[in-house]
Amino acid sequence: MTAEHPDDQACAAALVDLLGMTPVRLAKLLDGFRPTMAWSAVRAGTHPGDPGRRFAAAARSSDPVAVARRYADAGVAVLLPDRSGYPAALVGDPGAPAVLCSSGDPSVLEARPAVAVVGTRSATPYGAKVASDLGRELAAAGVVVVSGLARGIDAAAHAGALSAGNGATPPVAVVGTGLDVPYPKENRVLWDRVATTGAVLSEAALGTVARPGVFPARNRIIAALSDVVVVVESHRGGGSLYTAEAAARRSIPVCAVPGSVYSRASTGTNELLVDGCSPVRDADDVLAAVSLVRQGRGMPQASPARTPGRPRAPGPATPADRVQRSVWEAVDDTPTTVETVLLRTDLSLAALTTAGGELVELGLLTAGAGWWARA
Amino acid sequence: MIASISSAVILGVDGRPVSVEVHVSNGLPGLTMVGLPDAAVRESRDRVRAALVSSGLPWPRRRITVNLAPSGMRKAGAGLDVAIAMGILVASGVLTPEAVAGLAFVGELGLDGSLRGVPGTMVLADALVDHRLVVADPSLREARLAGGSCVSAPSLAAVVARCTGRRPWSDPPGTEDPDDGVLGAGEEHPGADLSDVLGQPVARRALEVAASGGHHLLLVGPPGAGKTLLATRLAGLLPDLDPQTARDVTRIHSAAGEPRPGTGLVVRPPFRSPHHGVSAMALIGGGSAAMRPGEIGLAHGGALFLDELGEFPAAVLDALRQPLEDGVVRVSRARGSITYPARFLLVAAMNPCPCGDGGIPGSCRCSPAARSRYARRLSGPLLDRFDIAVRVDRPTTRDLIARQPGEGSAAVAARVLTARRRAAERGVAVNAELPAATLDQAAPLDDGARDLLVRHLRSGRLTARGLHRVRRLARTVADLDGAGATVAVPHVAEALFLRGSRALVLGEDVR
Repeated sequence: MTAEHPDDQACAAALVDLLGMTPVRLAKLLDGFRPTMAWSAVRAGTHPGDPGRRFAAAARSSDPVAVARRYADAGVAVLLPDRSGYPAALVGDPGAPAVLCSSGDPSVLEARPAVAVVGTRSATPYGAKVASDLGRELAAAGVVVVSGLARGIDAAAHAGALSAGNGATPPVAVVGTGLDVPYPKENRVLWDRVATTGAVLSEAALGTVARPGVFPARNRIIAALSDVVVVVESHRGGGSLYTAEAAARRSIPVCAVPGSVYSRASTGTNELLVDGCSPVRDADDVLAAVSLVRQGRGMPQASPARTPGRPRAPGPATPADRVQRSVWEAVDDTPTTVETVLLRTDLSLAALTTAGGELVELGLLTAGAGWWARA
Repeated sequence: MIASISSAVILGVDGRPVSVEVHVSNGLPGLTMVGLPDAAVRESRDRVRAALVSSGLPWPRRRITVNLAPSGMRKAGAGLDVAIAMGILVASGVLTPEAVAGLAFVGELGLDGSLRGVPGTMVLADALVDHRLVVADPSLREARLAGGSCVSAPSLAAVVARCTGRRPWSDPPGTEDPDDGVLGAGEEHPGADLSDVLGQPVARRALEVAASGGHHLLLVGPPGAGKTLLATRLAGLLPDLDPQTARDVTRIHSAAGEPRPGTGLVVRPPFRSPHHGVSAMALIGGGSAAMRPGEIGLAHGGALFLDELGEFPAAVLDALRQPLEDGVVRVSRARGSITYPARFLLVAAMNPCPCGDGGIPGSCRCSPAARSRYARRLSGPLLDRFDIAVRVDRPTTRDLIARQPGEGSAAVAARVLTARRRAAERGVAVNAELPAATLDQAAPLDDGARDLLVRHLRSGRLTARGLHRVRRLARTVADLDGAGATVAVPHVAEALFLRGSRALVLGEDVR
């Protein structure tokens, strides 16, 4: 027995930290038990939620006070449903996590409306641009942008929200890995910025690495935290459709961004539209949906100060000549292979690649491996 | 009595002279063979005995010892049969040593005493140019490619009759057929014409530039896009081999015992497409006792096509890197080491990712992990060897149905030949071989082109190493366009596009 008497928070941290602990098992252990009671019952091997005494040995060799100190040192707060700090939107939710780890300050969720902006990891330039624009404009309008910090749409939405500047509402992320394991690695910087301005939440213990299953599970938290879920791009059967489904089960409105019918990355979202989800063209469409849900409680006060996007068609000064214009006309918003453009324009490959390169340098096209898309 | 007869065996792509020494003495009748013979050589004792008897010649009922000198080198193949038979005849006194003076023998014996040709006759003849070489009738034309004095005979009895002067040496009919052997070696797709390729202007252009400048080519695209169809059309675009290369190619194919359409010089560039199950030894060579050349040697002067590049074992692919750089293969084994030329155009095809649809954002179904695992099979240095990497997409239905057949191989081959002539004026066979130091002189850039390259270098889209490759590629593009000495912006822009990027293989995410 330790000299210090561990409190609820320390015991909850110790429970989360047990080897082999999953959110489902944890919910069973804390169902009807205070964390201190659950902890001593697990140690004693008498917990009815742990009939196989799976955790008894591990619990006996663990010191809740030390675990709690480790979490505090890592800047991670352990939130419990009946304590302050735990997001109110999750209280009473059927799938609410029994314990939630947080780095950063999630209290912004209590004051502002929240919108989930989610989508595929293999986003097209179009999808990434829409997600980034939505993130920026929603954050500027006083909305908390909630997403999962994954590659593609998630990252673009978070980056957009952060780019809205100092006066804007900070974003919140819900991740599947431990809070000290940024995943994917290339989003580490973004991850840190979200944690410092807003909050990064996870129901996993520190050190939990990415593994199949944790990401669909965290999608239910994203949905439960949000007033509206916007799916920007998703394949048919893509992971972000879990979020949409979880939202639908909680009667949270799901919106979708329409995409090209030829783009595979938009098959899922276009199907959502067919199923009756409202389409999203810009942040105003989302804000309208939010105001319907919130009906006056905590709506953004003023009409948002919209940052104007780039004009759709190039101005009269650009493109420089007829060849450039014909190339620009032949490129779609979605990635278009150079071969397709070649067939459309009837130029020689040398003339086409010259004009294409100039358009890329003018910022009118984005280039990839063998394809172009309108910027 | 002792006799010594000249012959030769193959090691790698070279003939090695072998002296067959036969000693006949009193003792228990029998034949002992020494001097590291392999199984086929050892078995020749039974063939020689049967051949002598069926030719009506005496088999000495005495002790026969055959030594193959130099005795430290392994001897492979059946080409020593005739030399052993002649040695026995001289040693047992049937023939005088003068009858075989200055002669060398290469050929396999049938049990009925007939002479058969052996693979690698040209190479063997090369090693015996200072002799008058006696070969089987079907091999005479090939033996004469070496340039030495050669005669032939249909059977062992005829050889004996001609050596003793009872009959004159005479050529079999049909030896001077001029059409024999002008076909290409290993031309696996005769009649494969570029007009079979519908649409796909980018891939066609890439093929033409690759053939003109000798730039290694990587085709990346989904299954069914026609990558294999395109690659197999490459052989038809390459010009005929120059005389020296034709000799080298013929030697290699002869030494490897590869079937050739004729017995003459190979003048069309070979096209080799080993399956991805190929072993490193089969690719590089040196597997057997004769250290047979591998697929890359057989592709010398022509093209090596690796279909499904991602399926080849990484170790096999990395074995390609040294020959790609040096143009020769050095194979060292416990038995010895051989060197042979391997200057070829490498063409490879692969899917962008396991599902095959990757490359364009939003179209791939693979997880990022699966994609990077797939890409990791190809080492960066190998990918770097490909000057051209282009995406090949499935032709549209409209292309397949409505379009007229594309331009034929003959028209493209004519442009390729013109471009290669311009490279030859610079002193290299193809632009890909231009030394970096001569680029400023051979491929000077105009101001716009220089600016474009500088911008690409500054932004990190182009590495210093890639710069030389792009300049060579731009030189080829300019040659094809009939441009003058200076390389202009459109040529560089096209070269930058054709060079493609690592992202074609690695897939990409938009973040």
